[in-house]
Amino acid sequence: MPLLGSFCLNFALVLSVYTFVAGIIAAVRKDAFGFRLAETARRAGMASFVAVLFAAGALVYAAMTNDFSVAYVKEHSNVALPAAYKFAALWSGQEGSILFWCLLLSAYGFVLRLRHKVDQRLVAMASVILAAIQVFFLILVTFVARPFNVMPVAAADGNGLNPLLQYPEMVIHPPLLYLGYVGLAVPFAFGLAALIMRYPGEKWIQITRRWTMVAWLFLSIGIALGGHWAYNVLGWGGYWGWDPVENASLLPWLSTTAFLHSVMMQEKRGMMKVWNAWLVFFGFMLSILGTMLTRSGMVNSVHAFAQSGIGPWFAGDYGWTGTPWRSLPYAYPGFLELIFAVCLFFYLKNKDHLKSENNLESLVSRESSFLFNNLVLLGACFAVLCGTLFPILSEWVRGYKITVGAPFFNTIMVPIGLFLVFLTAVGPLLAWRSTSFASVKRAFAVPALISLIVEVTLIVVWIRSGIKFWRDISQIYSLLAFCLSTLVTATIASEFIRGGRVLKNKLNTNLVFAMYHLTRRNMRRYGGYIVHFGIVVLVVGVAGLAFNQEQEQEMAVGDKLQIGHYMLVGQEYTQDDNANYRSEAALLDVYKDGKFLTRLNPERRVYKANGGQPNTIPAKWSTLREDLYVIYAGLNPDTGHPIIKAFVNPLVNWVWIGVLIIAFGTGLSLVPNAAQIAVKAPQTATVAAVEKQAMQPAGVGK
Amino acid sequence: MKRLLRILLLPCALVLLMGADNQEARFQNLGGKIMCTCSCDQMLLKCNHVGCPNSARMIKELRANVQTISSDEEVLNWFRKNWGVTAVVEPSRHGFELLAWILPVAGLGFGLLLVLFVVRSWKLRTAPVAAADAVLDPHLESLRARAQRETEI
Repeated sequence: MPLLGSFCLNFALVLSVYTFVAGIIAAVRKDAFGFRLAETARRAGMASFVAVLFAAGALVYAAMTNDFSVAYVKEHSNVALPAAYKFAALWSGQEGSILFWCLLLSAYGFVLRLRHKVDQRLVAMASVILAAIQVFFLILVTFVARPFNVMPVAAADGNGLNPLLQYPEMVIHPPLLYLGYVGLAVPFAFGLAALIMRYPGEKWIQITRRWTMVAWLFLSIGIALGGHWAYNVLGWGGYWGWDPVENASLLPWLSTTAFLHSVMMQEKRGMMKVWNAWLVFFGFMLSILGTMLTRSGMVNSVHAFAQSGIGPWFAGDYGWTGTPWRSLPYAYPGFLELIFAVCLFFYLKNKDHLKSENNLESLVSRESSFLFNNLVLLGACFAVLCGTLFPILSEWVRGYKITVGAPFFNTIMVPIGLFLVFLTAVGPLLAWRSTSFASVKRAFAVPALISLIVEVTLIVVWIRSGIKFWRDISQIYSLLAFCLSTLVTATIASEFIRGGRVLKNKLNTNLVFAMYHLTRRNMRRYGGYIVHFGIVVLVVGVAGLAFNQEQEQEMAVGDKLQIGHYMLVGQEYTQDDNANYRSEAALLDVYKDGKFLTRLNPERRVYKANGGQPNTIPAKWSTLREDLYVIYAGLNPDTGHPIIKAFVNPLVNWVWIGVLIIAFGTGLSLVPNAAQIAVKAPQTATVAAVEKQAMQPAGVGK
Repeated sequence: MKRLLRILLLPCALVLLMGADNQEARFQNLGGKIMCTCSCDQMLLKCNHVGCPNSARMIKELRANVQTISSDEEVLNWFRKNWGVTAVVEPSRHGFELLAWILPVAGLGFGLLLVLFVVRSWKLRTAPVAAADAVLDPHLESLRARAQRETEI
């Protein structure tokens, strides 16, 4: 198997190099020979997917059959490991995860080359760019991080998978995140191809938008699953800790979100072409940066599962060589610098092709709202990037690494996030080209009033409940978040209701059915609103963080722990031992306001492989309102009694529901619009006028 | 519009102005910026596990410092000095570390300037585009307007 795997990787590398070289020759020679060569390049690219698939299959097979002669399998698997986690071993280590990158990239390339009839010339050029990226990653797995290295003597058992990764979500979280990261290579390839070819029109951007949305969807779900995993496995009671690797996944997400908004300006008005091209380029570069941060060990992270010295291959290597009195600078560019240089070169060469076709006509318009939206999203992206890389900068400049943690990011990002939520409320109310203040005022009045009522109600309720929110900035932010979330929800609802009312009259049906038809007629717009609503639900969930409670106590059988409305009573403490791990667990009865609610079973496992690494398995009582989250922290060595840590985390489920809504809305946006519904009766001038008005955003016209 | 904005902003401003501080809130706030140095990678106030060699002492010191030192930054500096720079998970607000705070704000400011520059350059180019529009086929324009109306996004 290792031999077959290595052969497949070498073969895939040869095929990818051929795809790249033949593709370039075909692009230069535009004759019949060039056309035939392009076709062979396309087929070679597709075949490279099959070769990488076989290589990945060989590694999975080795893990499944406990072939510990393969060094990678010995490092990341063991006999007692359940089958699903043996499969997940493919992306649990450095070499396997880069192989997995190659697999996904070649899979995306396969689909792209299969659908070459969308636009043969553009796809051919995009295919060349994808092949170039694939060559880089295949070089890494073939020469630098080799997954099929063979041990001199096969071990009887392996080291096992990191216990933190032995969780069901780990079988799907990394693949989804990687699908997002790698997926951004496709819009990048199309963007660069269009720039190189001076592709006329906006068709490339329509093709790119769909691919970007797919990658964005995977990235969103991947990030959320990572949060869910952290919440359920790391046992600190939270789901987002501003860990550098978490941040690395957020960076391309933010830049791609900006692109998905600004791309509409190019499609509708032929504006922001330079901006969009660079957003596509930076989105991919940030995904490469994310991969590098996860895999290189440049930053300290809980994701230190797969670290090695491959950083210079991505970021380059710079420094001084020789003795102090005769030293010379050296600089080896990495993959990131290479990408940037290529993008910059073709941008400078063809920048006249990216001239804007229209101009901004008014500051109060949809265009300007997109501009500000992009500014804030990229500002957020830059802030996260600064915070993430600042420890490295500090080490270069000062000689020591400082810690930049959650307090820094919360201080910077919460106000930016709240402003973004505000823009989400205002943006959809503005029309393209120009909007009058009177129209905005008209459309904004009711949502603003509802939001104000909610804010005042919350203040009254909190004061009556004894919450002194004015003493805690996080609770003040939380109040603003609830208020702005209401504002966004109200504006979205008003958009649906306004359009629905018009269709209701036109189709002679009820409002719900009319709103359904409204969505079917413009899936992209209304799917987008649903995504916005999902963001709002997520923001509400995050706002709940300000009211978290926490309690820790040593608990013998019969002891009680009170937290919020809940009382935990220790019933029994057990120990277990199986082939994979030893465990200690507590059985706790939970009472809410004196009534029995449930029995929780928090656990602490010590995995036999991996040097006996401990792992907490929290137990939860989860409702829409709050989570009771209980951890078995360990035994007190002095008394022999277990230590129980309990959290009450309000609104956590709203975060996961928000993500589901976002995924649903994105899925809707990808579905083509339904055909216009035929209206039998001739329309009167009044109905036509009302329809015209309703299908415009609220604030259209001066 | 202005009245509406005022109505909307007034409660927010009032709420923000109400952010008066007290010692316990300061203690909680600062405890969330200091990391326990027992290698557990947890924040100081969260690392109260039994047997921790450092957290009890650090918490006691934090409480004492909150009482005696009026500036939060000085309290954090005290911890940087006595427990090492990595004990505080927030960059300092002076010296080189101030850059970490300035960069995001400067980035946003630069972005804002860039946007204003772009908007200005678009505004300056408005006239020729209008002239070019004038020669377009009116029928085509009406179809374009209809398409835009019906596919409003």
